[in-house]
Parts: sequence; C-alpha cells; structure tokens
Amino acid sequence: MPLPVPTPHPRGPLAGYRVLDLADEKGQFGTRLLGELGADVIKIEAPREGDPVRRSGPFYRGEDGPETSIAWWALNAGKRSVTCQLRLEVGRQLLHRLVAVSDIVVETNPPGRAAELGLDYATLAAVNPGIILVSITNFGQTGPYKDYLATDITAAAMGGLMYLNGDDEHGPVRTTAPQAYTQVNTQAMVGAMTALFARGTNGGVGQHVDVSMQEAAANALDNASATWDLLGINNRGPGLRRMVGGNIGARYLYETSDGWLAALSAGGLFGPNANTLIDWLDENGEAGELVQPTWRERLSTMTPIEPEELLYLEERFAAFCSRGKKLDLVTEAQRRGLGWAPVQSPSELAACEQLGARGFWTTVHHDDLDASFAYPGAPWKLSATPWAQRGRAPHIGEHNADVYGELLGLEEAELRRLRLRMVI
Amino acid sequence: MAEQELKPAFSGIRVADFAWVGVGPLVSKYLADHGAEVIRIESATYPETLRRAGPFFENTPGLDRSGYYANFNSSKICATLNLKHPRGNEIAKRIVEKCDVVTESYTPGTMSRLGIDYEALRAVRPDIIMISMPLFGQTGPWAPWMGYGHVLQAAAGFNHMTGWPDEPPIGAGTAYTDFLVPHFAAIALIAALDHRRRTGEGQWIDFGQYEAAVNGLWTTMLDWSANGHEQSRLGNRDIEAAPHGAYRCKDGKWLTISCTTEEHWTALKAALGRPEWCDLERMRRRWQRLNEQKEIDRHLQFWADDNTRRPDEPPEFRGENPEVPPQRKYTSYELMEFLQKFGVPAGVVQSPEDLRADPQLSHRGHYWTLQHPVMGERIYDGAAFRLSRTPANLHKAAPVLGEDTEYVYRQVVGMEEDEFIELLADGAFE
Repeated sequence: MPLPVPTPHPRGPLAGYRVLDLADEKGQFGTRLLGELGADVIKIEAPREGDPVRRSGPFYRGEDGPETSIAWWALNAGKRSVTCQLRLEVGRQLLHRLVAVSDIVVETNPPGRAAELGLDYATLAAVNPGIILVSITNFGQTGPYKDYLATDITAAAMGGLMYLNGDDEHGPVRTTAPQAYTQVNTQAMVGAMTALFARGTNGGVGQHVDVSMQEAAANALDNASATWDLLGINNRGPGLRRMVGGNIGARYLYETSDGWLAALSAGGLFGPNANTLIDWLDENGEAGELVQPTWRERLSTMTPIEPEELLYLEERFAAFCSRGKKLDLVTEAQRRGLGWAPVQSPSELAACEQLGARGFWTTVHHDDLDASFAYPGAPWKLSATPWAQRGRAPHIGEHNADVYGELLGLEEAELRRLRLRMVI
Repeated sequence: MAEQELKPAFSGIRVADFAWVGVGPLVSKYLADHGAEVIRIESATYPETLRRAGPFFENTPGLDRSGYYANFNSSKICATLNLKHPRGNEIAKRIVEKCDVVTESYTPGTMSRLGIDYEALRAVRPDIIMISMPLFGQTGPWAPWMGYGHVLQAAAGFNHMTGWPDEPPIGAGTAYTDFLVPHFAAIALIAALDHRRRTGEGQWIDFGQYEAAVNGLWTTMLDWSANGHEQSRLGNRDIEAAPHGAYRCKDGKWLTISCTTEEHWTALKAALGRPEWCDLERMRRRWQRLNEQKEIDRHLQFWADDNTRRPDEPPEFRGENPEVPPQRKYTSYELMEFLQKFGVPAGVVQSPEDLRADPQLSHRGHYWTLQHPVMGERIYDGAAFRLSRTPANLHKAAPVLGEDTEYVYRQVVGMEEDEFIELLADGAFE
C-alpha cells in the first residue's frame, strides 16, 4: 500500500494551518519548509502546463518533462497540487473559496499584477480578514526599481552579495547554487511566521507582508554595512583570504593532498592558539623558524607582523597541509582545539559521517518512477513537534479531487464542468 | 479593531538570549525588532566575541564600539552575569523563570556544565522554548567541533559552489552561513511559539547550523542523489541559463545580465540591436546557447566595453571618423536602465557604498539610523519584509555592556535591593 502524498503530519507545530502557494522560485522553497512543520501547503498551478518551475532543470536522467524536474522536486516536496485558471473569473472565485479556508497566501507576481488575478490584499482580506498575504518581489511593491526584472544573479548583484565574493583578478562572482533565492525564501517565511504570530496577538487580524529579494541579499553581507558606515571602507571579495573589518587578513583556504580545507588565521598560527599549531608543525618537521621563542611570543600575542612575515607563515602552513588528507588534518586539529573544517563537495556531503550519525538524509519514494532518492533532511529537530518530510512533489493537479471535492465540497458534476471550461 | 490598537507581533514575549557571535543574535533580532523584550545575557569577564571584533567606531577597539555587534543587536537590552560565579546558575534560572524563550549557541554540553540545560530550565519554567544553535547540532562525532561561519560554509558546500571552474573553491567573502541559517532558526522558533500559544506546550529545538546550511544548496544535493551529477562552481554562469554573467563596464563597475527565459533572450537581442551573432542557428535554443557561453561572454564583454564610458568621458562619443554619427556611451547604471527597459534582467554589482546610496533601498527604508550612546548615529539593517499592520520598529540602538543590569534583576527578576547590591559587590554580574 503506497503512502498517500503528502503524508499527514498532525504533530507539526503548524498543523492545522493552510498555506496557498502561488509562488515561483522566490517562494516555493519557503512554503516547503512550512509544510514540513505541519502546514497543509497547496500549490496552485495553471491548468495543463503547470508551474513554470516544472520546466527548470536539472532533470532526472536529463529527460525534460513536467514531472522530472529536480528543481520542482526539491522546492515542492510534500505539497498538494491543484490547478486553477486565474485568468478566468470562475477561477478567481474558486481561489477565493480556498482563501476563505486558508491562513497564508504566498505570491510572487510583479507589483500590480496580483490585482488582475484577484490576488491583491484588499480583495483577499474582504474574503478572509485573517488572511496573511505574503508578496515576494524582486525589489518590493513600491519604489523606483519596483518594475525591474531580476533573476538570482541580478539580486545577488544589486543586493551586494556578489561584491563581497570573488577576487581582484576575476572580479565579482555569484554562488552557483542560487543564494538570493535561498535568502529571500527563508527571510520571507520569517515574515510570514511573524505575521501569523501577530495575528494571534491581535485577535485574528491578518496583514500584507511585502518582501524584497534585493533586501534579502543585502541582509547577508556580514559586517559590510557597518564597515562602510564606521570606516568608509567597502568590504570586498579577497579570494583565498578573509576580509576583517575592512582589512584583508591571512589566507584561510589551503590545499591538501585530496582537496581543500578552511582554517582561519593561517590555521591559527596568528592568534592565541599559535603555540598549539607550532608544536604540531614541529612534530612533523614543518615549523621552520617558527619554533623560535620570539616567533612564538609574537604570534600568540598577535603582535602585528609584516606582510612578508605573514607570507612566510602561510607558506609553512600550506606546506604542512599539502602532505595530509583534509579530514585527517581537520579531525586532529579539532582534537587539538583548532576550529578548522574541510571544504566539501556534494558527494562528500552525501558521505559525511556527521550527517549520517544525525540521520540527516531522508529517503523519498517516487512511486511514479518506482525509485527512491536521498533528500536533504531536517534543518531543525524540535523535541515536541518534530520535523517531517512528507513525500515527493505533486503531479499537476494531483489533488484536485481532494481539495475541491473534500475540502470545498464541490460535486463531481461541478468538477467536470470546471474541467471542461479549462478552469482546472 | 482600530488600526492604532494593534500590538507588535511579539508583544509580551520575553527572551533570555545567551547566544553569541552571529547566528543567535540575528535570530533574536527578528523578535526584538518586532516587539519582544530580548535580554542579552553577557559576561563582562569574558566579553562576547563580537564586541571584540571590528569594525570599531573611530577605528579604536572597545566593548561598546563594535559596529559588528551593534548591527545584530538592535532593539535589545543587556544584563551582565558571570555564569562561573557560585550563584550564577541560580541567577540565570531566575531570569529564565520570567522568560518565554531561551536562545544559546554554545558548544554542546556547555549549558549542562553550567547547570542550565533544557531539563534544568524546564524545571523552573515548564513551557519554556529553548533553541540551541551550535555549528553541528547536539549529537554526532562533529558535535564538539569548533569554528565560525567562515569555515562552516566550507563544510556545508558553499566554497565548493563559489568561484571559477578549475580554480580554488574561494567561497563567499563572508562568514556566509552566519547570514543564512538564522532565518531557518527563526522560522522554527516562531512556529514553536505559535504551537505553545495554541497548546501550552514548550520544547527544545536542537538546531545544527550545518544541517540548515545544507538545506540552502538548492538543487545541488538532489542532483547528486538522483542523477549522480556533482554540481560545481561555474563562475557567473548557470547550469540552466545563457547568457548569464557579469561584465566589466568602463566606470569600474560590473553589470550582470541573465536570460533565464526565451522572453529575456528575445529582449536582449532587441536591446543589442540584433547583431549577427545573436541570430546564428547555434544561438537559437537555450540548450544550444549553454554550449556557446564562451562566445556569448566575449560578445557581451565587447558590447559593454563599446557602450560604457569612463567617469571622465562625455555621454556622446565621437570616433576618429567624422562621417560616423556620435555613439551614445553609458554608465553601468544607465546601461542597466537601458536593458531593463527592453525587459532584460540586468543589475549592477553594488558595493556597500552603492547600497547606502541606492534609491530603492532608500525608498524602502532598509537602513535605520539609531542613536548609540557611545557610537552616535549609526546605520542598522532592517528586515527584508514589511508587515502592513504591525511593522518592525527598531526602537533603540544596540545596548552597551550591562546597560540594563539593574533593570533586569530588580524589575524583571524582582530582586530586593539588598540582594542585588550584595551580588553586585560579590562579582556575580561581572
């Protein structure tokens, strides 16, 4: 007996809440997280062609198709799906019947467009005064750039994220796994949860949450805004090094025999733990001049050093790292009290002993493909209301009968009529 | 209910914030900026790392001079407590008794050693919600590991995914995960608060920063587990879209151009004036263009070189040949506007300085100016979301160390004056 999709999750902290998802890449991942906390998340798709993300790659085995998009799977696992044609009045009426029995609506239309689809706050609040409408846009609902188009890289650029990455030789760089999208998805859901909590604080009053992807990126800039404000210095991408309060510090990335590791302040050679690391280098015959008491004294008290001295430290440390394997080196460093970490790739993450010991990966069965895959698992472990993965992403309109029939009480004849008129 | 009667979202919620550095304080900032009373509980003997980290006001170190600390601690108050004092743990419990939420980010086991783990705190406040946010979670072989966001981003895959192909995994130039995982933590924490309001039940959240971060890799992990395809850093290219890149303009800035849909590509062709290369057969479909990215980047960089001007150059450029009409030259921002008018997603790579002058962020009121007793008027980041009825209110600058110690022990905890003075004299608040 195959499990129903999505599986019920009555013990989640958001059990009993319903979320309507009319979002693109800027919101689909966030609503997935609410589903894993117990909310009933219903994805609303255009009839026939379905959600545009279904046409985004990568695809399973490279085979294009609305049910084989890995982007669709990753962002929509555990949701229900209904189809609804919002360009038709009948479709908008159907949506409003869903809004009446929902708590949160998430949409990503360009400013102004939502009203044409009956999705503006005034219209929804008239249907359900407690509704929380989360509108996620590239730059916000109003302002001089409100109509600007943006993809992930546009927001990563305009929000400053790219400026902080990269190096002088190649210029700025984007993280290839889209981070403006990840940032806006998660920050928008903090806004949704804050509005939900405010509703309880204020006797059931809903509100409109206006989210900007540019601002979400601008909130991920470490101490760059304070550094500009206080020192008038632009933090910027220093490649293998690290920028600290406007100064380019020691190199923190080092090549090992099998990859790279990350270790701040040349592994700790420049800092209070310098002697620990000098001893370790010395045990391996790599310490060079650093064993001298003057070096030890200067490094452990962090007395400022000349650039060529810093290069010498980095060279010693790089030579030491190049002979070991990254996990061996990091494990021993941690044992000695040095906070290093390995640079890991997807395949290394999949094999990581820590994630394995925590039971992180969750197996999701795709009954349609008769295959199962490991999905990233719980981002948090809640003791009383556990996280749960709720099965694969839905097919287009897979839950029309459940939602329109059982939830809204539409008769089979009416559903058939809607289908014929291409509303669903 | 009349609009003005509405209370902030977290009105009446009190938080004992034992967390430090980036992740914990950024979680409680959401609550503080939306109405909770957040008490930073800090030690004067072992000051919070971020108070000792620059940038500093007037470039001079000092516990109340760090802009790094300040930006993450708006709207909060601060009491000092020496948890190593013989009565430290008892005092901590008396604070928690008056709180709804406890946040902490110590290495696993520290709160137990201090006698204030979840079990101990639940005994004094049965419905407490506690969130523990160390790097690697409470269990597993890496649980005791130390580090900061700069190295966690390496472990969690962000270095591997940031940089140029066949070049080192440079990662973000920031402690990137520190600015990603707090949003995950805040979602779970507010959900738990809502559950408590509906059921009366508190709980403990075991939040491993590592696990939240791995959830932020988009399709990367599933592409590996389902397809066996290991995604990697592509510079400014994309696995799915072309054109997709950043191009140097003559005013020294970089302009990003990305076409993720056919509409974007058609718009770009029109904006470029349909040069011949655009209409080559091998540029027709997206999957074809993905194979031609080197050539596309070359054309677009030439185009940016031809059409942008140096800061001292006039907008109209007259070439060597007087017969040829003058050519319009753009700044990076003008070129962005030009492309946007055609319907092309284009954006300038903005520096922190550019962001402060950005008309959109200014229109949104993203940056708040708050008066700090030591640092004066300073800039604070607001949330990326605006709530229409219960908006954020960054009502005060970050606290100076121990600013509210007397208020917290006398008013919140309800300590008699004699006891407060006795403990103060005995160093319990240092």
